[in-house]
Amino acid sequence: MEKLTIKDIPLEEYTITPGSACQGCGPALAARLVFKALGNKVIRHGVPSCPDSVTATPRTFSVFESAGAALTGVSRALKILGRDDVMAVGFIGDGGTYDIGFQALSAAAERNENILWFCKNNEAYMNTGIQRSSATPLYAWTTTTQVGPRGRGKETPRKNAPFIIAAHHVPYVATASIAFPTDLIGKTLHAKKLKGFRYIDILCPCPTGWRFDPSRTIEVARLAVQTGMWALYEIIDGREFRLTYKPKKLKPVEEYLRVQGRFRHLTDREIEEIQRMVEENWERLLKLDEMGEFPL
Amino acid sequence: MIEIRFHGRGGQGAVTASRLIAEAVAKEGKYAQAIPMYGTERRGAPVTAYVRIDDRPVRRRDLVHEPDIVIVIDPILSKKPSVAAGIKSGGLLLLNYPKPPEEVEIGGDFIVSTVDATTIALETLGRPITNTAVLGAFSKVTGIAKLESLEEAILKRFPGEIGKRNVEALRRAYKEVHPPKPAKGPLRPGEEEPPHVTGYGVLKSVADWRVFRPVVDMEKCVSCRLCWVYCPETAISLVDEKPVIDYDKCKGCGICVHECPVKAIEFVREAV
Amino acid sequence: MTVEVMVGNKAAATAAKLSRVQVAVAFPVTPQTTIVEYLNEFITKGEMNCEFINVEGELTAQVVVQAASRVGARTFCCTSGPGCLYMHHPMHDTSSLRLPVVMAVVHRGNKGMQPDHTDLMSHIMTGWIQWYAENNQEVLDSIIMAYRVAEDMRVRIPIAVGYDGYILSYTAEPVDVPDQEEVDDFLPPYKPMPSLMPEDFDPKSPMWWRVPWEEHHKVIVNAKEVIKEVNEEFSKRFGRSYGNGLVEEYRCEDAEAVIVAMGTIASTARDAVDNLRAEGKPVGLVKLKCLVPFPYEDFQRIGSEVRAIGMIDRNVCLGVGGVGHVFIRNAIYDLEERPKVLGFHAGLAGKEVKVSDIERMAEKVLKAARGESVSPLVEWV
Repeated sequence: MEKLTIKDIPLEEYTITPGSACQGCGPALAARLVFKALGNKVIRHGVPSCPDSVTATPRTFSVFESAGAALTGVSRALKILGRDDVMAVGFIGDGGTYDIGFQALSAAAERNENILWFCKNNEAYMNTGIQRSSATPLYAWTTTTQVGPRGRGKETPRKNAPFIIAAHHVPYVATASIAFPTDLIGKTLHAKKLKGFRYIDILCPCPTGWRFDPSRTIEVARLAVQTGMWALYEIIDGREFRLTYKPKKLKPVEEYLRVQGRFRHLTDREIEEIQRMVEENWERLLKLDEMGEFPL
Repeated sequence: MIEIRFHGRGGQGAVTASRLIAEAVAKEGKYAQAIPMYGTERRGAPVTAYVRIDDRPVRRRDLVHEPDIVIVIDPILSKKPSVAAGIKSGGLLLLNYPKPPEEVEIGGDFIVSTVDATTIALETLGRPITNTAVLGAFSKVTGIAKLESLEEAILKRFPGEIGKRNVEALRRAYKEVHPPKPAKGPLRPGEEEPPHVTGYGVLKSVADWRVFRPVVDMEKCVSCRLCWVYCPETAISLVDEKPVIDYDKCKGCGICVHECPVKAIEFVREAV
Repeated sequence: MTVEVMVGNKAAATAAKLSRVQVAVAFPVTPQTTIVEYLNEFITKGEMNCEFINVEGELTAQVVVQAASRVGARTFCCTSGPGCLYMHHPMHDTSSLRLPVVMAVVHRGNKGMQPDHTDLMSHIMTGWIQWYAENNQEVLDSIIMAYRVAEDMRVRIPIAVGYDGYILSYTAEPVDVPDQEEVDDFLPPYKPMPSLMPEDFDPKSPMWWRVPWEEHHKVIVNAKEVIKEVNEEFSKRFGRSYGNGLVEEYRCEDAEAVIVAMGTIASTARDAVDNLRAEGKPVGLVKLKCLVPFPYEDFQRIGSEVRAIGMIDRNVCLGVGGVGHVFIRNAIYDLEERPKVLGFHAGLAGKEVKVSDIERMAEKVLKAARGESVSPLVEWV
């Protein structure tokens, strides 16, 4: 990734505002930051999802399950038409990435299509009213993983899509958070220079679906990283691994969980369980970072 | 048949209000249809709901274009003349508004009644969720649903303490609502459509999404740029290294207020 | 022009090559699979400059060509049966977005591997123009004509060219292959509308929008005129024509009764009609090539000239009836004097349709034409 400061963040805006997203929409900010880095020599593809931010770029859309397919079509057409100055860019939610879109995503990655895929990850199907996705974290409340005598929220931990994509040995996989804008933009600028399949998974908190006051969107995105619930890293060619944010000590996950209504029901035992999971995962990531190797 | 249109904002309970009326009149042996208007139901965005009430089953499924009654549960929307669009001659405009009917600026061939539902809600519920308060005013002014029926509907939907407080809001508004007066104000609905956000895409202004607005103290500002970086709507631009807010683009989310490291941005209640 | 003995699938691949297709997708499903194998051979041999993508499934295949077409490449895809069903979802958008994708559908009915027309007909509401070919020559010619029709600015609607699996896909017969120059002259280059390139970006232009229903329907209905024009021009240049492009009447002059057939059943039916004519029986064949948009005007004219029509449907709309049968009855309803319209379900699940079967059907229709009572009015052969 390129290393930047706040003052290096490009001034030019590529979003057309105001849009129809909720107050405090995480993905709306993610779109703004990503396209600052990309510029407008792109064809931006979307599938059904929340509106995030409209960008001043040519746009295509396709049915929900098919982002990987459409991006392939855009990219190959650009190639045969001799337009290597234009990038095929997807800005796709976690539904269109992790679930219904997963098959087409994996296939496009396996073919190493020349595509930039951004997952605007708000950890549920928000546009249709907050239903769970495989990106939803363990114990989170959603309308299809409710809390009651027979339910404690999402039953399983979230799918590790970035690692799975990295196992396709594509040139670049990274995670990002809107609370770390220089990290996100630095990764985008780096990915922009490469060819082949590039994937950046951006954690974008959703005040409506995660149930917190819209003013705290950035705070939540920051705590996710500081507690180790969402690690920031890069995987190059499916072989090299490096953490791009390494706090000396992780904050307790409770600080992150207690801010959000979707975790309001958690018992102390459940929080401890999550804390253990996060710590074990963090140890593994630290080891990978030390070795510099992605072991698949 | 009586046709009612509700205006509110996402998160304030306009849709719930329409359901509560329908449930209340059902207990009185009437038929009702409660229809939410599906648009982009984003938090803060204007929301519309309709109710039809009749002594026999309501069969028509088209929307309400000429309401007998318009109820606005948000005090800022209550200032928009377009909320009265289509209201029938001699109809009723019931506003959540902290001033008496004589001081309402919207006018036309209808009567207007007001209740300060936001204050009542803040004092009974602790939050500005105004739907149950407005329903108390509705019951008093129109007599269409009895207070007891609304209470029953509320307690069924909101158990325990929350239900009790909502009933308190209901009863207080019943007492405090101003009786209706002819709507003599100078502003007319005109050709504008009633406020509603539909679909996706770029909007002209989101100013009426706000309950609070951010105000920058330029003296305190240290030009760190963080507010500019974190605004999802690009409502903040940098002019000579200082943040300037475009209030047509600002939804009042409060991120800038929350993130400013020197607390140079204040979150101020929008004037009503 | 050279004559080559080739199987139907090679004819399809050859047509795509001659049409200078720029993006093609490949996924196997019997009996169309060899089309993509031929394409891959052409490309790897250097005979074709085309992006060839081995996709992971037919739904992806449809979206790849949809997106590539939107960006500005001429595209080709092909499928059969379950593959065609799998891509149903995005097929609606390919038409709604007015994209001139051309697809070969090698018929494999919905209940097995053998041919019938239920696969492509299941997509009758997707807004795709549908043509049904009766021999390998028509397969090749139709795909080339399809690009010309689809890319015409008055049309801009995707076209599916269907042909019967096994019977044509794997059967070899002589095919006149036009020269590349002749096809280049016939097919102007494709331009997307509007342009999707960043330098042409206009924030006010919607860029992606589904054409509203009424306009969508009328565009497809009106495409009949363009189809007729293109068929005529093709005929002048290449010396082969397919009726008026929508229907072809075979020995219908002074016919009292006609049978209507699609695909290879029409081909077999020519022999059946010849046999009956040799016996002095005044029957003719109407080969229905273009199912969508449906040639109402042609059937109204034919219906006013004959006393009975018998539609041979290699399909059934379950619980409703034969698609061709229902459409034809609709077409002739307002005539002053309506002909009888009989229906036959034949050839489903690949059931063989013999010359003698068609002779029998035609004789039944002739009986009806002569006022004799026949039964049942719709028959499963």
